[in-house]
Amino acid sequence: MLVRHRWRRLVAPTVAGLVLLVGWEVGVRLSDLPAFVLPPPSQVAVTAVEVAPLLGTDVVTTLTEAALGLLVGALVGLLLAVLIAAFPWVSDTVYPLVTLTQTVPTVVLAPLLILWAGFGLLPKVVLVALTAFFPVLVAAVTAMAAVDAEHAEMVAGLGGTRRHQFWLVQLPASVPGALGGLRVAATYAIGAAVVAEYLAGQSGLGVFVQRSRKGYEVDQILVAVALVAVLTGLLFLLVDGLARLATPWQRPSSLSLTSRPGRTPA
Amino acid sequence: MTTSLSTEAPTTSAPALEVAGLTVTFPGAGPRGVGDVVALHDVALRVEVEEFVAVVGPSGCGKSTLLRVLAGLTPSGATVTGRPVDPARGRDTAWMPQRDGLLPWRRALPNALVGARIAGQDRVVAEARARALFDAFGLAGFERAWPHELSGGMRQRLALLRTCLPGRPVLLLDEPFGALDAITRRRMNGWLAGLDLAGHGRQGGAGRAVVLVTHDVDEALLLADRVVVLSDRPGRVVLDLPVPRDGLDEARRELLGALDPQGRSDGST
Repeated sequence: MLVRHRWRRLVAPTVAGLVLLVGWEVGVRLSDLPAFVLPPPSQVAVTAVEVAPLLGTDVVTTLTEAALGLLVGALVGLLLAVLIAAFPWVSDTVYPLVTLTQTVPTVVLAPLLILWAGFGLLPKVVLVALTAFFPVLVAAVTAMAAVDAEHAEMVAGLGGTRRHQFWLVQLPASVPGALGGLRVAATYAIGAAVVAEYLAGQSGLGVFVQRSRKGYEVDQILVAVALVAVLTGLLFLLVDGLARLATPWQRPSSLSLTSRPGRTPA
Repeated sequence: MTTSLSTEAPTTSAPALEVAGLTVTFPGAGPRGVGDVVALHDVALRVEVEEFVAVVGPSGCGKSTLLRVLAGLTPSGATVTGRPVDPARGRDTAWMPQRDGLLPWRRALPNALVGARIAGQDRVVAEARARALFDAFGLAGFERAWPHELSGGMRQRLALLRTCLPGRPVLLLDEPFGALDAITRRRMNGWLAGLDLAGHGRQGGAGRAVVLVTHDVDEALLLADRVVVLSDRPGRVVLDLPVPRDGLDEARRELLGALDPQGRSDGST
């Protein structure tokens, strides 16, 4: 049953993707579309191999921006969530304002950030952080608000104060939620960094895309697009892996079966 | 000097816990007190040091509410009159909820240390004592287990260990094994009786008072020195019975009669 499940989850989408690629290849060749409009996937693949050695610094730049931005955004989001949970007046005054600011898509702010923070790493990191902090904040606030009353009461029943409740129950209870928000944020991070690079910068995948656009090198743009997808996937897997490491009590049952054999409590 | 010592002697016989005239009312949905629910009415309870008292009563009679008030947990929205006689003793209690309340993100040993941490005890000392108690509580070898890896009985024992570890003079246990299956529960009660939580006649006066809430008369008779029966809502004390050393059957009949004054035919089973 597991094999059939795997087949459906892995093989079926792979086959569907291959069918689409073949359709693209055949369609482009039959219609004689020029390569500066839409190159066939085979040409994109050849270009990918050609430009791969040149992309190293761009990838490093974009990944650095995304990772730093995620880290800063997650820390700010978690800190704000803690303040909101600890002080009702912060929750009343700050939370609605923060929610209201989310009506502005963060990429719209990119030109302003570049005006204020220059052409270097900083505006990109700030933009990624702005994009990342909100999902983390919302997820952490929700998790802290949903704290099991049973746990808070247990602490109070042992003579614990509100401070004890916060450190022993609320804060640790917020961690899985915050990490869930970080997982969502990870999927936005590279995209946000690339968009910021479109506007200004010396290196990065966004700079590479802009350069390719000026030369009508659509195949290179498509290589960059594929690379952004792969990097986003890798970043998500990394954050997901770190989240699992940080919350070992939340192992899925299949994992706990393999990690702890012969531990059957009597 | 010697005279002052002798005058102090009676104070050592002060109760570990005492409430009088305790009434708890939950506000109803209606206006101006219409539909208010009186959970407890004029309840008096005195528990001596080294005494194990069981509070029994039908479901919904307010016995859990009584325990919460004794633990200093005022039920939200409720009106409580008749405070504990000595309010300073409020911090001397350790309360164990019906469900274990174990924190899922802490392994067994850190979970056991929660109470000691709240009490501000030295971590190293508390941990050494906890490790020793893991053995006595049948949890040896499971110090690093996550709560979800433990069986129901083990979870309850771990919760009890957490409650005992801070060494508070009064333990308040709310149906500690109520959620377990009948066989496990019987075994747990046998084990708990052997544990002697109240520390009867232990040297150095290390004993403490225990208040156990249960709906099981046999559990009460097995564990307690004295059984207090609460009536149906509003809960009032209808019987306060010291558990005799022998003649348990008669005590059991008396308790069942007090629990169910109308249907004595049920009580005979």
